[in-house]
Amino acid sequence: MAEEQGPEGSEAQVSEAQIAVHWREEEYYPPPASFVGQANAADPAILDRFTEDKFPDCFKEYADLLTWDQTWHTTLDTSNAPFFRWFVGGRLNASYNCVDRHAAANPDKTAIIFVPELESDEDVHISYAELLRQVNEFAALLRDFAGLKTGDRVTLHMPMVPELPVTMLACARLGVIHSEVFGGFSGAACGSRIADSGSHVLITVDGYYRAGQMTDHKVKADEALATAAKEGQEVDKVLVWRRRPGQYASQTPMADGRDFFVDELLPQYAGKTVEPVSMPAEAPLFLMYTSGTTGRPKGCQHSTGGYLAYVAGTSKYYQDIHPDDVYWCMADIGWITGHSYIVYGPLALGTATVIYEGVPNYPDGGRPWRIAEKLGVNIFHTSPTAIRMLRKVGPEEPRKYNYHFKNMTTVGEPIEPEVWRWYYTEVGKGKAAITDTWWQTENGGFLGSTLPALQPMKPGSCGPGVLGMFPVIYDENGNEVPKGSGKAGNICIRNPWPGIFQTVWGDPERYLDTYYRKYNKNPDSTDWRDWPYFCNDGAVQAADGYYRILGRVDDVINVAGHRLGTKEIESAALTVPEVAEAAAVPVIDDIRGRVVEIYVSLKPGLEPSEEMAVKVSKTIEAVIGKIARPKNVWIVSDMPKTRSGKIMRRVVASVSNFADVGDVTTLANPEIVEQIRHHVQAEKVARGEVPRELTEAEEAEIKAFGAE
Amino acid sequence: MTQQHLAGELSVLLERVQTVTTTETAGQDASILRQAAETEPVHALGWVTVRALALTDRLCWDSLNLGDAGAFARQAAVGAALREFGVCAGLLRDA
Repeated sequence: MAEEQGPEGSEAQVSEAQIAVHWREEEYYPPPASFVGQANAADPAILDRFTEDKFPDCFKEYADLLTWDQTWHTTLDTSNAPFFRWFVGGRLNASYNCVDRHAAANPDKTAIIFVPELESDEDVHISYAELLRQVNEFAALLRDFAGLKTGDRVTLHMPMVPELPVTMLACARLGVIHSEVFGGFSGAACGSRIADSGSHVLITVDGYYRAGQMTDHKVKADEALATAAKEGQEVDKVLVWRRRPGQYASQTPMADGRDFFVDELLPQYAGKTVEPVSMPAEAPLFLMYTSGTTGRPKGCQHSTGGYLAYVAGTSKYYQDIHPDDVYWCMADIGWITGHSYIVYGPLALGTATVIYEGVPNYPDGGRPWRIAEKLGVNIFHTSPTAIRMLRKVGPEEPRKYNYHFKNMTTVGEPIEPEVWRWYYTEVGKGKAAITDTWWQTENGGFLGSTLPALQPMKPGSCGPGVLGMFPVIYDENGNEVPKGSGKAGNICIRNPWPGIFQTVWGDPERYLDTYYRKYNKNPDSTDWRDWPYFCNDGAVQAADGYYRILGRVDDVINVAGHRLGTKEIESAALTVPEVAEAAAVPVIDDIRGRVVEIYVSLKPGLEPSEEMAVKVSKTIEAVIGKIARPKNVWIVSDMPKTRSGKIMRRVVASVSNFADVGDVTTLANPEIVEQIRHHVQAEKVARGEVPRELTEAEEAEIKAFGAE
Repeated sequence: MTQQHLAGELSVLLERVQTVTTTETAGQDASILRQAAETEPVHALGWVTVRALALTDRLCWDSLNLGDAGAFARQAAVGAALREFGVCAGLLRDA
């Protein structure tokens, strides 16, 4: 443990992007011949079927993996771009596609294998016929008891238990839009999502196992309802699945007339069937909330037909899922990865998907490999964070177990070559392909990856754009950054695709602002070519066309080609014990492009001093490196803030650049702006640091800084 | 990137921090940090992790000063888990 100045050696990691930029080009790894021989996409002709001249009809190949009640008449409707509509006129039901059709063809085939965290508990194998029964009965309960109907939203706050996919599929059967909140999130986070989605019903569990302990989960439901009520949304019913039916694992009392145990209600619906509602392809299937840069989570609305087609297609070709595989994605269903690649993608293809309840290293680092060995898992999917943790707790553990992966996917973050090699050599035993994927909550499915049998792997790079996806890297001014230039920029997708989300729930302007306005030159255009999708990630494209993803571009300051995250600079400043708040801002600089200035306020009772400014500057330099050393450290008595307490970085950025600060009358403390302006600009004038007049684009950049 | 899971894991760890706080103020600090993990953009998670570690560090010192070995052990265990997660998730630099 460190002295009181803070945790030693625990500096915020600033340099992820920088590290990535400085990664050298790695060698290629060809896929094993045994993999190529059985792969779904082993014929290079598939690449020709998805070239740009075949867009958008190429995606019929994905849609044809599904069973449609009615075929679409228009593959892509761009008439209200960028609110694109896919497979217009088509009708289908997601639950039917993931359950009924497989139950009819192979009723005894395993659909879900549930692995409880406690190794003493038996695994649960659920066949497609059994899944169909459970989904039907719960759909009947949702319709007849909870009163849910097509188009309603329902919030789920559930951990990794098989009742979660049952609930999702029951909602989909009715055309009810589900909104699952990660089970580990607080009740308050769940409540704000209930309010935003307008849900009247919450579905939860009483408890679940995590790290060997039964966690009281129902307590969060009460907190969630209180938060939702504060935000104006009342919840009528709380449906509580019990981890062990008949035994209540929570200490929280059930509210009479509001809270109901599902296992007590279900017997009334035994044997009931619910006809799957034939939904328009464009009907929303679910909402998935993701944090935004304003601190207000956004509900990404995903469609039924386009989404399901996209996750089925990418599951087939990129994860190489066959119906007879045993597939395990170690993510949580509470995230988009779990929705797309635990539930909807694998089940649409009729395979067996594994759901593991607990943490991967409980009771030890060998647990994942024991599960893989016992169940015969042959496709494994996890995140670089989990890989790093497993490597740390047991670098040689995989050797002890007799499992055989044919394909291993990574998702969620760039993976360093060194960690990639451990994954390949130790986890995959040198015999599995690795499919490194890049995508986002908003996208539904993969954006960048290698087709595992056709495109060689390269550690640290996700690969080229996936089938039917045409990425491009733009600089801030919309100029294309050529591949092989070694320069980073903003990666965009030039074309829409079926898995893309439809809008931000209840906030279409935010959808436009965040993803489309940046590089759109004609807001009236109905040509998709005019609406590149801005991914909000930075990337570099190598000469071979492979992309290396550098991370989110929100509030990045580009200093002489180094992309520095403002939050990380601020984190470094905040490790100085005397600092209460910090705001890093860019200042236009003719030589280095941008330089960093940082504003700090001190804890009560402390006086500003030159020594303190030097201490802040040196700390940032020590934590991040010389490149991040601020040109100026401004110690101020307070930061300009909104009434909700958010620091208005654009205001101080404008002060530093001698730009117009805009309307500050709605701030909680508008008077502070003039104080800061006088102090900073007088000092800059005295030092001869007055910048030249900003160009229109520079002024716009400063005004937009920290806004979204 | 689909990095939302990092926010989720950090939230779970901050829930553990909440359970080992020994004063109302520390409990509120942990609660604020958890809210930040759940709502702030992913690039802010490094900052949240640093603050969370500083909080557990403070809690440990307080427990040591009070001679409360049991509380110290629980707090140190959460701090260690936080640090390990932060390093593995690339939110902290391993030093």
